[in-house]
Parts: sequence; structure tokens; C-alpha cells
Amino acid sequence: MIQLQDFNYIIPLLIITIGATVTLVIDAFSKNKNVVFWFTIVTVVAALSTAFIHIDIATIVFNNFIRINILSTTFQVLILTAILISVFSSKSYIEKEGINFGEYYSLMLFSVMGMILMVIGNDLLLVFLGLELMSICFYVLAGFMRKRIKSNESALKYFLLGAFMTGFLLYGIALMYGVLGTTNISTISSAGELIKTPTFLIGFGLFMVGFFFKLGVFPFQMWVPDVYEGAPTTITGMMSTAGKIAAVGVILPIVVSLASNITTFRPVFSVAAILTMLIGSVIALSQSNVKRLLAYSSIASAGYIMVGIASMNDWALKGIIFYLVAYVFMQLGAFIIISILEQNSSDTNEFKNLELNNYKGLAKENPVLAIFFTIFLFSLAGIPPFAGFWGKYYIFYAAIQANLIWLSIVGILISVVSVYYYLKLIVYMWFMDSDNTEYSQDVYRVSPLTNFAVSLTIVGTLFFGLFPEVFFNLFKV
Amino acid sequence: MLESYIPIFIIITISLLFAIVNISFSTIFGPQRPNKEKLSTYESGVEPIGSARDRFSIKYYMVAVSFIVFDIEVVFLYPWAVSFITLSKPEMIYSFIVGSVFLFILLIGLIYEYKKGVLKWD
Repeated sequence: MIQLQDFNYIIPLLIITIGATVTLVIDAFSKNKNVVFWFTIVTVVAALSTAFIHIDIATIVFNNFIRINILSTTFQVLILTAILISVFSSKSYIEKEGINFGEYYSLMLFSVMGMILMVIGNDLLLVFLGLELMSICFYVLAGFMRKRIKSNESALKYFLLGAFMTGFLLYGIALMYGVLGTTNISTISSAGELIKTPTFLIGFGLFMVGFFFKLGVFPFQMWVPDVYEGAPTTITGMMSTAGKIAAVGVILPIVVSLASNITTFRPVFSVAAILTMLIGSVIALSQSNVKRLLAYSSIASAGYIMVGIASMNDWALKGIIFYLVAYVFMQLGAFIIISILEQNSSDTNEFKNLELNNYKGLAKENPVLAIFFTIFLFSLAGIPPFAGFWGKYYIFYAAIQANLIWLSIVGILISVVSVYYYLKLIVYMWFMDSDNTEYSQDVYRVSPLTNFAVSLTIVGTLFFGLFPEVFFNLFKV
Repeated sequence: MLESYIPIFIIITISLLFAIVNISFSTIFGPQRPNKEKLSTYESGVEPIGSARDRFSIKYYMVAVSFIVFDIEVVFLYPWAVSFITLSKPEMIYSFIVGSVFLFILLIGLIYEYKKGVLKWD
């Protein structure tokens, strides 16, 4: 029987759930879209502040279905931060692109509900439920520009491949259930010798495949560029940060707790990590579309996360979480700046001003945006004073601690390759003259809310770059 | 172990043979006198109109989706209602609250649908 005080532990989830449902009703009754927007902000802020209440508690509630500990709290906070920044940056973007519907916000909130369920779920079925809730909202949000062919292509590709991969995930869960007779994650973690049976390992592998797809790990990365390019830019930012955090939040605790029993997977994960980094970095070199370029860079980031997953130790836990913290700020910041520079194109129904050539001479026309974008790109490349550097540092440190020295050397070499395309974008912005005569100054009229979102990301990137230890003092992972 | 499947194999073989023999015999020996009326599409006895590959109004899908939602609601409510009487009093209150929350969520869906004009049919 469920105790009433169990609900104490899922207050953020309850707030998001109620908020998502109420936004639907508000949208149905009110013509004013600002009401929905501000209600969404209030919901996410309330959930974010209540997420801190149980920061020191480790417990399992709801008949072993919900796990509350420092890991799940950290992931919740990360997800909610990413969503808060995306919501702030969304308003002016969806007004500009003519997709200002209230459902945008409620779909976002429903997807957050799924993500929180994933990271606090202590049962594979609950995790699966959360994953589906998140994915279905993402499919719809990716195709939210319904008159644009690219957006439709993005939604359809994501939906078909995602539905197919869900099959792998479910089959994996079924095989694990077949061996252990349970879907409870704590029971699975303490199952001992049974984990080494081939059937369980196959099931575990299929389970991981389902999540590797969501992360965009080689060989399941082919959907990433197409989907990220076609989706609305703010949604791309959200999918590539919050969605990934949720997927990592599921597999990371499982892999770390099973570590001694699944060492057979270490070479597989290592090779997948290297190939993912390689594919992401090398193909990005030849991209001419900024959104596609950042999509490949996010594949490379998934590769760095895989290096941590392959190390399977406590350092990897810290490293990956810090990398995700940095990633939220730098990746979201970069996508918000792209969404600011994107031009309204309701007449042609194509994305405009997203080519590398459009970024020529940006520093002369709008130095502030150029400086911000440069900081995000430096951080993504892993250059020291910014948060991205520490993320990579901790992950490669974890790999060295796990005796995967060859993996960290190859990873660092590939990371050097990836610096090239970040620098290329910076060179385009600072050292080339604009060849675009029809550039209108309207583009740079940024709304205060978007400004606020960009400031949040820039503050995060700089702050966690200069004081990385502050994060671990707050979240004692 | 496998012997117990023999009856199933026999019944599959017999039914396959029955179908194949009947259809092939009637095709080979039956009289073939086609005319325009016979070859036209069978549409429940009515004269066929237009092509079958047509675009349907989105309303049909909306009605279908609403039907599925409320159909499933009933499926969940039956066992809830049947087991309600067997519960003790505190359990009854608890299960009443849970059932009400479930119905309330679906009610919000209906309100949303109504206000968005999905149920308007003209």
C-alpha cells in the first residue's frame, strides 16, 4: 500500500504533472499566449526549487518503484535547469516563426514529466513509461513547424526510428525479466552471479542499444543530424541537452552498480566511444549548415560520455555529471544564439540564415553575440577557462583511473580534431567580411527574455569553468 | 514432448488441403462468364462511387482517437468498480480518490478537445 508521505518525495514531478495539465486548460480557455508562457515558467521554477528539498535523502518509496538519492536529485535539477533556459529562449523564437501555440509549452512540460520519471524510476517498466512519454512529446515537438518540409522530415524520421528502437529496449527488458524474474533495478543490481548468464547479457545489451539510440551513439547516430536540423532550433537545444541527460540518468547508475559483473561490455563500450567521437568530429569538418555542425558536435559529445560509461567507476559518475552540467550551458547557449540569428521565413517555409557563410562578419555587426557564441564554441572545444574543459578533463581522468589509457589518448587526439571546426566557425565570425547585403538589423533585436536565457548560459559556462568544485560541494555525488 | 503437437499438424494439413482443393476445383471446373457488373468493386451492394484512395476529413481521426480514449477508460473502470465492494473502508476512500483523479484527467482531455472545437461537425 502506498503511504501518503511517499508523495513528499516526488513533489517536483507532481508540480510538473499538474502544471502540464493546467497549461492545456489555460490554452483552451485563454486567447493570451503570455499566460501559458508565464505559467510554464512558474511551474518549472517551482519544480526546480522543490527539487532541492530532498537533496540529502536516500530512500526508495512507492513499493520500490521510485528511487530518491543524490544522483536522481542531481539529474532532476539538471533537467529542470535545461528546460527553464529553453522555455525562456522559446517565446521570441516561436513568435518569430509563427508557431506560437500553447501546446508547445504543455508538450515541453509533459516531456519533462517523462524525463523525471526516467531518472527517479527504480523499475524498468517505469523507466520505459517515462522514456515513451518523453519521446512522444519530442516527436511532436520536432514536427512543430508543420508547414515546413524539413520539420516534417525530422519528426517522421525520429518517430519511425525511435519506435523501432523502442522494440529493442522492450525486448531487452523482457530478456532481463526472463532471467531474474523482476524488473526492479535495485534487485537487478544485487542479483550477483545470475547477471553473468548469456541471456541476461544479451538482454542488457539490447537495453543499452535502446538508450544508445537516444544518446546518438555509433552505430545508432544516423538520425541525429537530420532530426536536429529540421526541428525548431530551441527544441533542438532542448532535445540535445535535457533528453540526453535523462537517458544518461537511467543507464549511468545501472552500469556503475553492475560494473564488476559486466566487464565483458567494456571493450564494446570503448570501441563505440571511439567510433562515436570519430564520426562526430570528422563528419562535422565538412558541414556547411551550423545546425548540422552542432548536431555532429553533439554526437562527438555523446562519444565523450561513452568514454565515461566505458570506465564504469565512481570517477566516471562524477565526470559524466560534470560534463552534463557544462553541456547544458554551452550547448543550450549555442543553440539559443543560432535561434536568435535565424531569420523569419514564413514566406518560403525554409530555414534561413543557418549557413556558415551567413556567419561571416558577425563580429562587426553584433560583437556581443559573436563574443558569446565564441565562448560557447571554446567551451565545446574544451579550452581551459570554460566549463567544457573540466567536463572533458574529469571524463578522461576517469578513463585513466579505469586503466583505459589508450582510450583516453585516442579520445584526446580526436578532441583535437574537433577543435578545427569550432575554430572555423570562430574564424568566419571574426576574420571574414560579410558578403550578405540583405542582412537586416531586425535580426539583432533580441527580446529581454532571450537575453536572460543567454545570460544564464554564459554565467553557467564561466562560473563552472572557474569554480568547478562548487558543483561537487553542492551535489555530493 | 513434440508428439503432443501432432494433432495440431494434422488439423493444419487438413484445413490447408480443404481450402486449396475447394478453391482450385471451383476455379478449374466452374463456369467463367464475367460481365461488367460482376467485375466491379463490391461495396455492400451499393453502386461504387469514386476512388478508394481518397483523403478523409481529419474529424474522423479525431472521433476515432476520442473513442479509443473513452473505450479504454471503461475497460479500466470495470475492474475498479467490481473490486470496489470488496475493500475495507479506508481502502475504499483511497481507491475512490485514485479513481476520481483518473476520471478528472480524462475530463480535462475532454474539456480541451471541446474548447479546441474538435467536436464541431460542420
